[in-house]
Amino acid sequence: MFEPIILAQILWTGIATAAPFVLLTVGFALTLKVTGLWNFAQSGQMAIAFYTMFYALNGLGLPLFAAVALGVVFTAGAAYLIEVCGLQVLRDRQSGNLTFFIFTLILSEFIIYVITLVFGTEPETLYRSILSPIDIVGGIAISDWDKTGIGMTAIGLIALYVFMRYSKEGQFLTAVADNARLAELYGISARRAYRVVAIVAALFIVAAMYLIGSHGWIVPNSPLELVLSAVIGTLLGGIGRVFAAAWASIFLALIQSFSILFIGSRWQNLLLYGFLFATIILFPRGVRMPRFRWAR
Amino acid sequence: MDYPITIAISIAIYTILAASYNLVLGYGGLSTVAHPIFFAVGAYTAGLMAVDFPEIPAFVNVIAGMGTAVVVSVLLAGSSLRVSGDYLLIASLGFQLGLLQLIKNLEFTGGPGGLSAIPSTLVGPMRGPAFLAICGAAAVACVFVVRAIVNGPYGRAISAMRDEELAFTALGRNAMSMKIAIFAIGCGMAGGAGGLYAYYFQYVSPDQFDVLASAAILTMVVLGGMGTVYGPVVGAVLLLAIPQAITFLQLPPSIMAPMQGIIFTLLVLAFLFLRPAGILGTKGRPI
Amino acid sequence: MTRTPFLPRRSLLASTAALLAAPSIVRAQGKEPLKIGSALPLTGSQAGYGNDFATGWRQAVADVNAAGGILGRQIELITLDTQAEPQLGINAANRFIGVEKLPMFYTAWSAVVKAQAPIANREKVLMINDGANSPEIATLGDYVYTAFPLAEVDITKLARYVFTTLGKKTAAVLYINNDTGIDAAKLYRDTFIAAGGKIVAFEAYDPKATEFTGMLLKTRAANPEIVHVHGLTADTPQVIAQMRQLGMTQRITSYSAAYNPKLVQQLGPAAEGIIVTSLAPGVNDNPNVGKFLDRWKAEQGRVPNGLPYVQYQYDMVYLTKALYEYVDKKGQVATGDTLREALLTIGTFDLPMTGQMVLDGHRVNKPVYLLTVEKGAFVPLATL
Repeated sequence: MFEPIILAQILWTGIATAAPFVLLTVGFALTLKVTGLWNFAQSGQMAIAFYTMFYALNGLGLPLFAAVALGVVFTAGAAYLIEVCGLQVLRDRQSGNLTFFIFTLILSEFIIYVITLVFGTEPETLYRSILSPIDIVGGIAISDWDKTGIGMTAIGLIALYVFMRYSKEGQFLTAVADNARLAELYGISARRAYRVVAIVAALFIVAAMYLIGSHGWIVPNSPLELVLSAVIGTLLGGIGRVFAAAWASIFLALIQSFSILFIGSRWQNLLLYGFLFATIILFPRGVRMPRFRWAR
Repeated sequence: MDYPITIAISIAIYTILAASYNLVLGYGGLSTVAHPIFFAVGAYTAGLMAVDFPEIPAFVNVIAGMGTAVVVSVLLAGSSLRVSGDYLLIASLGFQLGLLQLIKNLEFTGGPGGLSAIPSTLVGPMRGPAFLAICGAAAVACVFVVRAIVNGPYGRAISAMRDEELAFTALGRNAMSMKIAIFAIGCGMAGGAGGLYAYYFQYVSPDQFDVLASAAILTMVVLGGMGTVYGPVVGAVLLLAIPQAITFLQLPPSIMAPMQGIIFTLLVLAFLFLRPAGILGTKGRPI
Repeated sequence: MTRTPFLPRRSLLASTAALLAAPSIVRAQGKEPLKIGSALPLTGSQAGYGNDFATGWRQAVADVNAAGGILGRQIELITLDTQAEPQLGINAANRFIGVEKLPMFYTAWSAVVKAQAPIANREKVLMINDGANSPEIATLGDYVYTAFPLAEVDITKLARYVFTTLGKKTAAVLYINNDTGIDAAKLYRDTFIAAGGKIVAFEAYDPKATEFTGMLLKTRAANPEIVHVHGLTADTPQVIAQMRQLGMTQRITSYSAAYNPKLVQQLGPAAEGIIVTSLAPGVNDNPNVGKFLDRWKAEQGRVPNGLPYVQYQYDMVYLTKALYEYVDKKGQVATGDTLREALLTIGTFDLPMTGQMVLDGHRVNKPVYLLTVEKGAFVPLATL
């Protein structure tokens, strides 16, 4: 069981399977960094992304790029609306953390119920077949899906890095993340930054849902679970550190994958939650989180 | 006859859950979502003791359920109440889900299939009404305990701690021990509700204590009015009675289930924006 | 619940004579509908099955009503949604008993059955399982019976078949970590070992898992001759797909949940050779089944999800008819006790879609039909 080939296979498939979760974590962590908000409404956006693409591919029979484009439009649109009509309103009222939590969680549930009404609750996949062509390279099974996933994630991370570092918009995001009030003094609109990050996160969500939906089944409630893994990765990586969160996601996925060598597969989830709990306890960020000054 | 009684008993049990959660969240300001896990701990403890030690009287098992819930809550509190706000939120979520996974993977709890065949304590046609009386009394007691805590001098201390912790500590009061105390009381009550649940329904399943249960209790508290004594009661009644009423409308089932969810989430969202203090809350009270 | 009316013997004889003499009067009087209750997941992740089950019920009710109903009364079908959740199952049971005043009801999905059992026993209402297969169901109480064979029927026969007829000496068991999987996996393992075989891998996976690489690699390393996968409709194709993608070419066995055209569609060529069990006769075994399928294709435009299960749902109406007729023949009122007694006394029922049902205490024994996937379609393999 410990032969190099097997370990290599676990490594490869572990990273490939982690790819969509890295994307989700990055979207979530980026939003947290810039807005200071644990945006559980993203699970609603995940549902919108998947079901839009699902309907486009299977209901309307559109080609892939059109389906993905539609997914982007609807998800980013929803994200924008949520930001402008929901989150900004709460910010203007100086609402507390708890209100934001309730709002984002309940909004996600609302979206999921509406989707349940429209699409029903049967498990669905984007394509009829969930098998993907395989190449055997050096004894390791590498599927097209693996390659797509890793490719998309790598491109997404690089693009994000370039965007944040070198583009005006990206730099504004960083400025707002560091200190929104100060950024305003320099003429950077925090509101605009929040909207931009909402759309950027939506892109990552669509990419992730495409990967997840073409590899396994989704029911309307699935995003509630998916957002949890984004939360865990974000926490482990550290608040405000988006790329660290991405690495944390991969690390967590690999821990789970390799744990199979020692424990039964049914304990893998417990390991994950145990990790989450231990992380928070062992890395106390002090009694209070720094309160972000909202720029109006 | 049993049907409305079962609904009433569920309302009573969820009133205890909502009121105790309100104590922790609304009054204590401790943003945890793990309340259902203490409900689970109480239910499983009472249920397991009833199954394995049938000689022990029921109320002892329910008390044991409360006790276990208190112990577990102190464990959670002691380790995680040092962090606050969003961190506590996530820590409690991780704790809840982790403990649920553990329950699902252990054999003696019945595993994922749940704990079934919990022996019946009361038999006969008066079983329903008797249970209703007991649960109703427990619910009333719980609400009054919360009211007593909140309206007394201890209550003022709690408000001070919640609203201005720094000043509170600076004045020499021990915020940590107060937080743990509130948490323990709230979770203990939830554990007691769990014990009652186990005895009435005679079946406990791990799936009924997950994130959706947290959201349901949270909804009850928010809708009714967080930080009011009777708000959670209103919330519990609404959230349990209305879906049952809707099922009598003879809507096709594929519409009914999501419709109930849509109605409730819309209500919460509307309240959140238009009347953030909830049905019974006073306007202008910040949350 | 319902009181047996107290009648002095003389008037009992007189009224019986009157009844026998004037059947048409009885017919005319007994016109209020006869309610039958079925608790099913009409929403939730199992709704794909649940709704098709409900359709099967409706078809049977329509057929029986067209032929005069039960004892001249038209059947009114009451389906309540359980979402396959215990709590909603409890609500449904209470509704059936408290609101609809039914003396018996039907239910499925192991967790729901287990949750409803205490209520049925307490209220002395007959509860019949028509789709769940957890072996625990046989021990849930005096008022809990099953018309559907429990796991020990098909799983044990399958395990023995694999060892003796297929000649596989080593096997792996991969199962979903819930009610359905745990009991069945243990049964398979124990039977296989008792027959003389060896279980080289025995792995449970989380119901919400989507990635099984580690578990499959462990299994691959153990080199089994055959693999038994015991999951639900959503995860089974994924486990099999990933198995094939990791280069495992062993033959795969599963149970009735895998007997599903969608599985073949999702897996394509990876589905070839899969062996599944069915607890209901197929088109070649029972002429009614062919007509049933044609009717489905005409009315719904497709074949039902879980065809064998739907056959059982259809037959439950006929089972109910037999029970009510027996109770009526004995001049009794239909209560949980009388219906239960009818069930035990009659013991053997000839049902249109599933053949003969022979009650064995709280169990039933049925032949097990094995099918396998050949060129993208399920074909019969053996009958055990």
